[in-house]
Amino acid sequence: MTDTTPAATAPFNTIDAVVQALEGAGYYADRRLATAVFLALKLQRPLLLEGEPGVGKTELAKALSSALQRELLRLQCYDGLEQREALYEWNYAAQLLHMRAAEAHGASSDVESEVYQPRYLIRRPLLQALQAPAPGAVLLIDEVDRADEPFEAFLLEYLGEYQVSIPELGTVRALVPPVTILTSNRTRELNDAVKRRCLYHWLDYPERDRELAIVRAQVPKAGAVLSEQVAAFVGRLRSAPYVSAFQRAPGIAESVEWARALIALDTVELDPEIVVDTAGILFKQRDDVAALTHELASDLLKPEEEPAS
Amino acid sequence: MSVPQLGDARRGKLADNMMGFGRALRRAGVRTDSARIALAAEAAALVGVDSRLDLAAAMEAVMISREQDRLVFRELFDAWFRDPELANKLLAQMLPSAEGKAEPAKGRPRVREALAAPRDPAKPAQTEREIDFDAAMTASDRRRLHHADFNALGAAEYRLVERLARDIALPVPTVPARRLRAAGDAGAHSRMHWPGVWHEAARTGGEMLRLPRLSRRKQPLPLLVLVDVSGSMERYARLLLAFLHAATRRAGRRDVFAFGTQLTDLTPAFRIADTDAMLGAAGEAIADFAGGTRLGGSLGELRQRHARRLTGRRTLVLVISDGLDTGEPETLERELLWLKRHSRRVLWLNPLLRYEGYAPLARGAAVLHRHADAMLAVHNLSALEQLATSLAALMRAGR
Repeated sequence: MTDTTPAATAPFNTIDAVVQALEGAGYYADRRLATAVFLALKLQRPLLLEGEPGVGKTELAKALSSALQRELLRLQCYDGLEQREALYEWNYAAQLLHMRAAEAHGASSDVESEVYQPRYLIRRPLLQALQAPAPGAVLLIDEVDRADEPFEAFLLEYLGEYQVSIPELGTVRALVPPVTILTSNRTRELNDAVKRRCLYHWLDYPERDRELAIVRAQVPKAGAVLSEQVAAFVGRLRSAPYVSAFQRAPGIAESVEWARALIALDTVELDPEIVVDTAGILFKQRDDVAALTHELASDLLKPEEEPAS
Repeated sequence: MSVPQLGDARRGKLADNMMGFGRALRRAGVRTDSARIALAAEAAALVGVDSRLDLAAAMEAVMISREQDRLVFRELFDAWFRDPELANKLLAQMLPSAEGKAEPAKGRPRVREALAAPRDPAKPAQTEREIDFDAAMTASDRRRLHHADFNALGAAEYRLVERLARDIALPVPTVPARRLRAAGDAGAHSRMHWPGVWHEAARTGGEMLRLPRLSRRKQPLPLLVLVDVSGSMERYARLLLAFLHAATRRAGRRDVFAFGTQLTDLTPAFRIADTDAMLGAAGEAIADFAGGTRLGGSLGELRQRHARRLTGRRTLVLVISDGLDTGEPETLERELLWLKRHSRRVLWLNPLLRYEGYAPLARGAAVLHRHADAMLAVHNLSALEQLATSLAALMRAGR
């Protein structure tokens, strides 16, 4: 199988090819993003994605993995994440057993090298990504900003050289450099050392047409009218005069979810009532749900043709 | 890789252009280095120069690493690849010091002082009445300054107080972090410290007599500081900024905002290690210094644009203000309640507390008083020292 996949060595030769491949995987990327992905693949650099929650940062990694036919490895970051959960850990219990057994059979001279051998190594996502066989892997380091700053230091060697040093074993180099995607919600600024090793892309909310395409692709059951309305409504909600009423604008994930909910409620066309009733899907905060009043909803629904100045 | 001949000629030009563009970016304040510029040239070769939009996107992916730099980049890119000469001139207009380069040697007051001819030690300077400059902070000197009101300090005294303030450490309360570290036998956590176990076992010939465990690290609470820079706070603001900058240097995360009629993010300025440079950068960033106060509106801005800076209800919020707010008290109340819900403690540091019998009667002050977890004085040095102890006490109380 591996020899037939063009993805193994030279994945895509043009930016258009990236756009198409991602579309094939159900991800509608705009051209800027596709350019960044294209470069990340060609230059073999990690790609750092920042943007509001729900704009499709994580989804991109999933789509890439299916477009490239590479395994997706995911490292979800959290406060207190340590090297042993991200890189590797020794299987201490097994090592102990080995030592005891060696003792029972009369100690051999190099117990040490026997104990520190690869089979007693527990591989965590970063190491797994380096050792992934032929087509390589897609590694998603999700929400890096959630891990604390000391953790970023563990990433540097990986991001810069695609290798990991294990004191007892030596250096593990990537067989195939993994396609690496980092995402951040910007709860804090990342260290410059990390940023220097990555390409950067800021993901914006999609423009209307792209959002419409996404809703159509993800919720095929939604009629043309409804999906159009959903895309338009959410788009306007995020635009200048309205967005300031809310603490957090709904992302793409929310509009897709909303479209699904509307289908489940047998909605054919949006009206203020149903918008207010389902506001809990668009907004996840009580204040925001309350802010989407009947008037605001009808205001957002009515003047469709009027261009927002 | 392909078309070597054609590429060569073009690449030379392109590389030149790239270099110039990189430098222009740097002058405009976007951090970029030569490795990036080289990578940008590589990226340009990959994407090709046929489509301007693609090239722009490619350059952006390589050369930018912060969201706020994107606009600068786009404008400069457009200008540069239309006419580099013009772009340079534009840049010069934008930043008066850009053309001159090499940062004018402004010389900090401290440095100037150090370089100036030493004064005759027998004859004190005429303008400075009581402060003895040559005696380095003796105990008596220090005590007198303790109770001096900052507002009434002369310029020389002011500097000395500033230095004193820097010497007071403000211990930000710590909480157990998620991260673990090796502890002795008395480790509170249930996880084994395996590398430690091996070490111990090696000492006793492979027998495990001691089982070291892990315990949680301590980490300081994240800090969010809101400093009032309106007219009535003019004098305090500068000093408090200097004090906070120095005293919280070892704190973990700190976000600092100044507010008057609008909200200014001082966090980047606070990242500068040198206090004088920090004050310079902060002064440059603040556009509404010594103007009016709209605390409610500023908090609203904080909620809308920077809500994610408040991490997981752990943040300790310090509001430094005299509470003389010109905005609507209802707005202030609403925003303050929101802030309270999203942080661990909201403390109000009030310089007006120096007056005996001060009561928070002004509309804004009354709201602040009602909702803040505590009101602390910050008008002189002993108050600042107390601040450290009260902080700790407050964090313990009512957990």
